[in-house]
Amino acid sequence: MLRSLRSLRLLSPPLSPPLSPSLSLSPPRRHFSSSPQLPLRHRLAVTAAVTFTVAAGWLYLRHQKEQQQQQRHLRHLRSLSLGQGDFQLQDTSGRTRSKADFLGSWVLLYFGFTHCPDVCPEQLERLSRALELLEAQPGLPPVQPVFVTVDPQRDDVAALRRYLRDFHPRFLGLTGSPGQVREVAARFRVYVSAGPPDSDGDYVVDHSVLTFLLDPDGMFRDCYGSARTAEELARSVRGHMESYRPLSPPVTTA
Amino acid sequence: MAAPTMEERKACWGARDEFWQCLDSHGDDAAKCEKLRRAFESRCPQQWVKHFDKRRDFLKYKKKLETEGFHPYETAGKS
Repeated sequence: MLRSLRSLRLLSPPLSPPLSPSLSLSPPRRHFSSSPQLPLRHRLAVTAAVTFTVAAGWLYLRHQKEQQQQQRHLRHLRSLSLGQGDFQLQDTSGRTRSKADFLGSWVLLYFGFTHCPDVCPEQLERLSRALELLEAQPGLPPVQPVFVTVDPQRDDVAALRRYLRDFHPRFLGLTGSPGQVREVAARFRVYVSAGPPDSDGDYVVDHSVLTFLLDPDGMFRDCYGSARTAEELARSVRGHMESYRPLSPPVTTA
Repeated sequence: MAAPTMEERKACWGARDEFWQCLDSHGDDAAKCEKLRRAFESRCPQQWVKHFDKRRDFLKYKKKLETEGFHPYETAGKS
């Protein structure tokens, strides 16, 4: 950008001398040369060039600062190394799934339960909406939405299938034994606490409300709390996709 | 006991919203909104009613903090 500014100055045509003799003490000349008072147009050109340079420099520095902040944020998330290690859970068709099954694709993972009064449906709606926004953008890889239950006692495969029908069609539900589910939740540091049952035996499960983003290497990239909008989610996921560098050659799923 | 379906959830939320609107327009006087309270309780599982009651208390408290500010000495009471 600075190069073009400089060439602009070189290309500017020679300035004509001022028309009124009162503006200049020296007699009118054909070409601009070192006269004691610079013509207004030249002064404006210099001011504009200086302003552009300063503005460009400022924008560049601000961009650098934003990049540094983003890098720092990514480093911090990576150091948390959430979701490490394998897991074994059952999906809604009864198949056993482990982490290896998800390698090669981006994953948005949410922990919840089907008897959830309001938060889980809201969060799943938001996730579905974010997916729609991402799908509308050409050239982006697909994202696999995953719902892991924190209430395996009640949320069996059939219950998850029924529940997820109302959300994005590609939503995959995962359940398992209480031990398996507890382990996965712990890997993601998700707080889970079942409340006391009432006379019907019904209870709510208090849990962290978080949506996790995993990259095609199965590494944790980001997490989104309940306050972020679908648009913010989609923007963030896209940002991660654009800055993603594979650890190893892409995994080809058989 | 199966989890509520989407339709049941929406019916419950609708009943809750109507009840809350009634409370808002009657200055939280529950006596004036008996009928809507009963409709709310019939449409929502018991656990959800408890959850939403707590949620309402929280939202009111939050609004109070936002409009009046936090007064720790008043809430602490006499020691």
